[in-house]
Amino acid sequence: MQQYIIRRMLLNGVVLLLVATMVFGALRIDSGQVVNTFAAGCFHAGEDTQQCKDVARNLLGLDESIPKQYVDFMKNTLTLDFGKTFSEKKPVLHEITSRAAPSIELGLLQIVVALLVGVPVGVISAIRQDKWVDYILRFVALFFLGIPVFVIAVFVVLLTTRYAGGTGLDVWLGPGSEWKDIWEDPVKNLERVTGPALVGGLGTGAVLMRFLRSQMLEVMRQDYVRTAWAKGLRERVVIIRHALKNALIPVLTVIGLLLGSVISGNVILETLYNIPGVGFYVTSAALQHDFPVIQGIVLVVAVMLVFINLMVDIAYGWLDPRIRYS
Amino acid sequence: MAQEQAIPSIGPAAPEFALPHRPGVIHNVLKFIRRKPLGAVGFFLVFFVIAMTLGTPKAEFGVPELPHSPFGFKLGKPWLAPYDEEQNFKNATGRLNQDAAPSWKHWLGTDSHGRDNWARVVWGARRSLFIGLWALALATAAGTFIGVVSGYFRGWFDTAVQRVLDALQSFPPLLTLILILSIAPFTSQPSLVVAAFALGFVGIPQVQRIVRGVVLSTREQQYVEAARVIGATDARTMTFYILPNIMASIIVVFSTGLGVVILAEAALAFIVPQVVPAEGASWGLDLGEAYRGGVVEHTWEVTSYAGIIALAVLGLNLAGDALRDVLDPRLRLG
Repeated sequence: MQQYIIRRMLLNGVVLLLVATMVFGALRIDSGQVVNTFAAGCFHAGEDTQQCKDVARNLLGLDESIPKQYVDFMKNTLTLDFGKTFSEKKPVLHEITSRAAPSIELGLLQIVVALLVGVPVGVISAIRQDKWVDYILRFVALFFLGIPVFVIAVFVVLLTTRYAGGTGLDVWLGPGSEWKDIWEDPVKNLERVTGPALVGGLGTGAVLMRFLRSQMLEVMRQDYVRTAWAKGLRERVVIIRHALKNALIPVLTVIGLLLGSVISGNVILETLYNIPGVGFYVTSAALQHDFPVIQGIVLVVAVMLVFINLMVDIAYGWLDPRIRYS
Repeated sequence: MAQEQAIPSIGPAAPEFALPHRPGVIHNVLKFIRRKPLGAVGFFLVFFVIAMTLGTPKAEFGVPELPHSPFGFKLGKPWLAPYDEEQNFKNATGRLNQDAAPSWKHWLGTDSHGRDNWARVVWGARRSLFIGLWALALATAAGTFIGVVSGYFRGWFDTAVQRVLDALQSFPPLLTLILILSIAPFTSQPSLVVAAFALGFVGIPQVQRIVRGVVLSTREQQYVEAARVIGATDARTMTFYILPNIMASIIVVFSTGLGVVILAEAALAFIVPQVVPAEGASWGLDLGEAYRGGVVEHTWEVTSYAGIIALAVLGLNLAGDALRDVLDPRLRLG
């Protein structure tokens, strides 16, 4: 087990190094736009533009040799120093962490909704294979798989604000007026988060359901499940304790992979629902070409993803001994 | 035994020499509709979107450019668009006919600038579809090359390549896109070509992963071994023995990927409109503008664009799934 964990950690470390290198390379391929943005304040002062650009390049450290820039960049990244924002000259890391709470809340709620919906629906759809329940559930899942989540969100907002005004639905499912953190005003906070969490969670849940269904169908055909039936165990025991337990193991890795898409989805949903989280911040930073912010968020997300994937890997190896030794 | 003996026949040419009746195109189409009704719906939607992009080509040859001359010649006004892209309408009092409900003149109503929603949707189809095609052409070409080489040689080379691409793939694609486009490489202005390349770049890991998986099983086939025995070089084996045999998988990857790319472009233009050019009709941009302007005021505009994105992506997904089941059931996820 120890060896397995060390191997996964090394692998994930390589992933992290590569993402950091990609971020480093992105700016060095062509830095003109970023330098211009950084020097924008100087242009207004009416000074010589070339001089402005040179000063900007110097302040951004772009006039050094590439290997030195790379070493500096890695040093800063390892110490979590992502520089200051262009717009307000505040430390990037602090700006990101102060906006983390709504994003984490929304992400976790989405996963909870996805699990609460995806797991039971996947199981029911599998044990009632090719019955009408299965067809209906699969059709609904196909709807959420086929139509992009952000379009569904737009329609939900449109329908609730236009036709359900005053019924309470518009408050719970639409973008409300003012954002309150969960420790300030839990009810107001949940009013804002329920809509995006439901829409995003159902989208993720549909993926989960489809995968769990095929896993269940495979497991239900295994010998040990037949043995369990033959022993005369109750249906509930056979399905939950013998089949579902084993079908859930591969689903775990899917949850790990889905996190990437949950984060992507968060960027969209936060922008749609005006939730002041990290996703909203990255889009507004992109609008202002505030490069340090984008770079910082990309790196923080990379660290987080790698960490979560490591947890998933370890849990996977712990649950399924066959993985450890392969 | 006696029954199996052929009975000598007398008379005109026996009918058994006639070839079996070959089913016609219409027969095959009907069979497909019966077997895969959802896939048929998908193909219908895809043909509908393709039909929107068609227009009388003009003899203006040159460098291919998005969105109106994607193949090197200029496409004229789309046949399905009743009005021009930027044409706006006035109502009886002489003011702009803003946010009108659907009518005979304006099938999907008008937008906040008094332009016809249906015409804008049709004009915007080019942008979505051709960005998608360009991006996917890049992703498929690069992904296939990497996948085939990596799967064919295996060993440390394969491991190294796969780790690099795992790193790219585990990352949220939307963030990578924002990162690439926010530095606006090679242009000072937002450009559709750069956007298409960025979208294609993000798609490479997924394409190559599927291609590599198929190559791993194909390279163990006897005909590949036979090619090696008769002395074919590695390059020759890959191009003439492996590549033709994984074509079905590549077509499936292409068709299932198109929906994803078109959706990604729309989502990108929706949330960060500044990274794509503002001129011309675009589903994502126009939806974003209408949504931010207020869904209640711009109901018909929002419905038109959200509806067409939903239909196009749904159609491509359904058609892609059906095509996969028919051409290459191995790629089925469940």
